[in-house]
Amino acid sequence: MKLDLGLSENEEMLKKTALDFMRRDATKEVVQNLQDTDTGCTTELWQKMAGLGWAGIIIPEEYGGTGSTLTSAGVLLEVLGTGPLPGPLFSASILGSSIIMEAGTEEQKRQVLPAIANGSQVVTLAMTEPDFSWEPGAIQTKVSHSNDGFTLDGVKLFAYDAGAATHLIVAASTGDGIGLFLVDRKSEGLSVTRLPGYLAGQTFEVKMDSVRVPQAALLGENANNLQALESAITRSIPVLCAYKVGGCQALVDMTILYSRTRVQFGQLIGRFQRVQDMIIEMVNQLDAARWTTYECLWKLDADRPAAESVHMAKAVTSAAYWEASTLAHRVFSGISYAKDHPASFHTRASRSLYHYLGDPAYHRQRLAKLLTGV
Amino acid sequence: MDFSLEYTEEQEHFAGEVREWIKENIPDGLVNFRDPMKKTREQWELRREIGRRLGKKGWLFAGYPPEYGGGGIGSDKRFVISREFEKVGVGYPPFYDSARLAVGPILSLGTDEQKQRFLPPIFRGEVTTWQLFTEPEAGTDEANQQTDALRHDKEGEYFIVNGSKIFVGGIYAPPNQFLLLTRSDREAARHENLAMFLAPADLPGITINPLPLFVSGTLAQVNGPTADSSPAIKHQVFFDDVRIHESFLIGGDRDGWRVTTATLDVEHGGGQSAIPLENTAVKRFIEQCRSNPRIQRRLKENPQLLESVVDIFISSEIVRLWGLRNAWIADSGQRAPYVGPQLGLYTKIIGGEIIESLARVLGPYTFIESTEWSLAEDIFEVVQRAGLCFAPAGTPEAQKIIISRALAIGREPRR
Repeated sequence: MKLDLGLSENEEMLKKTALDFMRRDATKEVVQNLQDTDTGCTTELWQKMAGLGWAGIIIPEEYGGTGSTLTSAGVLLEVLGTGPLPGPLFSASILGSSIIMEAGTEEQKRQVLPAIANGSQVVTLAMTEPDFSWEPGAIQTKVSHSNDGFTLDGVKLFAYDAGAATHLIVAASTGDGIGLFLVDRKSEGLSVTRLPGYLAGQTFEVKMDSVRVPQAALLGENANNLQALESAITRSIPVLCAYKVGGCQALVDMTILYSRTRVQFGQLIGRFQRVQDMIIEMVNQLDAARWTTYECLWKLDADRPAAESVHMAKAVTSAAYWEASTLAHRVFSGISYAKDHPASFHTRASRSLYHYLGDPAYHRQRLAKLLTGV
Repeated sequence: MDFSLEYTEEQEHFAGEVREWIKENIPDGLVNFRDPMKKTREQWELRREIGRRLGKKGWLFAGYPPEYGGGGIGSDKRFVISREFEKVGVGYPPFYDSARLAVGPILSLGTDEQKQRFLPPIFRGEVTTWQLFTEPEAGTDEANQQTDALRHDKEGEYFIVNGSKIFVGGIYAPPNQFLLLTRSDREAARHENLAMFLAPADLPGITINPLPLFVSGTLAQVNGPTADSSPAIKHQVFFDDVRIHESFLIGGDRDGWRVTTATLDVEHGGGQSAIPLENTAVKRFIEQCRSNPRIQRRLKENPQLLESVVDIFISSEIVRLWGLRNAWIADSGQRAPYVGPQLGLYTKIIGGEIIESLARVLGPYTFIESTEWSLAEDIFEVVQRAGLCFAPAGTPEAQKIIISRALAIGREPRR
């Protein structure tokens, strides 16, 4: 029994650096200004984050990254989630780099991973389609062989952070299974359009109309990389969950502070038991999210079986973030609906990220299958 | 971070010692009942005997100071003891007792003489103790005590106690002593009018009557075994001009609320940490869901039931994880006073919900005890316990009040 749920010295240092970064460089105004942008980030912020080594946080040192654990990535993303600071750090540096690591050939890893790590390439996944599902079986994007490479045709929908991407990893049906193609964003026939909607966040439509890519764009050596894709998604999910944990934590903190200052009916609102009930429920949601997430990260880092934990963490955390932001609005009421109120940033993030890599219904179904076989 | 609970080499070595001890000291004829109402006096005495033997070894109060008969061992070894007891199906500690609540206040507020007198018999498992706090008019409003303990006019070293307590005690009366909360001053302000005693239970003027309940259970322990879950019986205790000497008073005449708060901190989840065990009943239930053809048929016919299986799994996992967190917080000397009552609150709420989920999945089989017709027989224990989960150690609503204060909602945090 080595039970120790505290952060390591390195993780504490990373957390401190990240908190300083948020205070100085990602203030409320910065976060607000990024809300309705295509990239969710500025070049300046992105370079700063890359300079801190965050863009390559889980990429092994031999490929130019810092080779940190998933738990460390979780610690970092949790702090960014308190903003919540949007941008492609998760989509590219966690999910994108994981896919390259799992699916790429040695040569592809040597080419792409250092570029992700230094921030010069932003590689995000375009997987889901108009028949929305995170089941790879639902993929209909077609790929055909041409003389010197492949041609892609189809539509990807709800491609997260594609607006900030320099390259997309397109999952397509090859006939032999699901192939993964690294596609330059500037390819002819490829268009990336932000999906409208206040709560949509940075999600995009990606249209591919006879997009030609070279032979080398196919990740790995065969036309079926389904397992690599699933494995990369599995490893990335709890890091995304940690971002939501940070969101829940920020909501709890701001709501408790408000309960100590806001007076109605001549007393602090935190003295009303119905208000207390809502805040306690927020704290319960936060702590359920936090500990399912961090145990899952630990299991993955320690190479323990983690399938059940991954589904549980995503189901619990997506629901918790949604619920915590709803409850925050109920405690704050009017003021929290102002466009510049941080609770509203979290509400947008909790809605737009709810379905990213599978919503609670999807993960609960998968969990039920693991538990019961049905 | 490290969530692992596998034994270290040192723990494995100690576990061998514990297993050896168990083999030699668990008496023949001990039976584990899913329905505690089936426990005979003889069976209860066997558990008391295990307690005495554990006490002699120093393992009954394993984490407490050895100079009073405690074991003085750390949480890593205490975890091994409880896990090894669980493996043989015996709860740890093996019998219902409230002495654990008295120990903290005696250590912090008792005189040296009281520590010498009270602690060794408790630590050695020689005495049983009931907590006597709840009264007809002092339920959630614990401070509203009506049982008077007033100093005698002439013999000032004696208190005269009159009043009654309700919903107290374990299966077999009488215990050896009471942890007794009383009102020592009828005029003084609330919270400053109380006195706490650790007093013998056989003084003249004390009457103990059984109070049957409709279902068995103690706390909503949905993870790990409880000590000997208590049966569908509690007691009323009446005091008629009972004389109690002041040497049984813990703290001062008006320190009762301070002592109560210290005991409630333990009862609400503070005190010495205990690392939660796997929820074996839920684990076996999930296994049954996978393997029992009747349950499989129900799940396939109505896939909505899968939601209930997932609910049960996730909530018991959250209880397990928060238990680990609480143990880690206590063992690493941190302060987070909301986590104890939070776990208590959540355990109670999901205790009720789990029965509902089970009833959806298993149908009426949920409520029958182990017979040839059982679908998932171990579940009966969870159903029994969770069925009576809201009252003990404070209602969920009372626990929310404690959590609010601990989180300083609507008030300045204490520095």
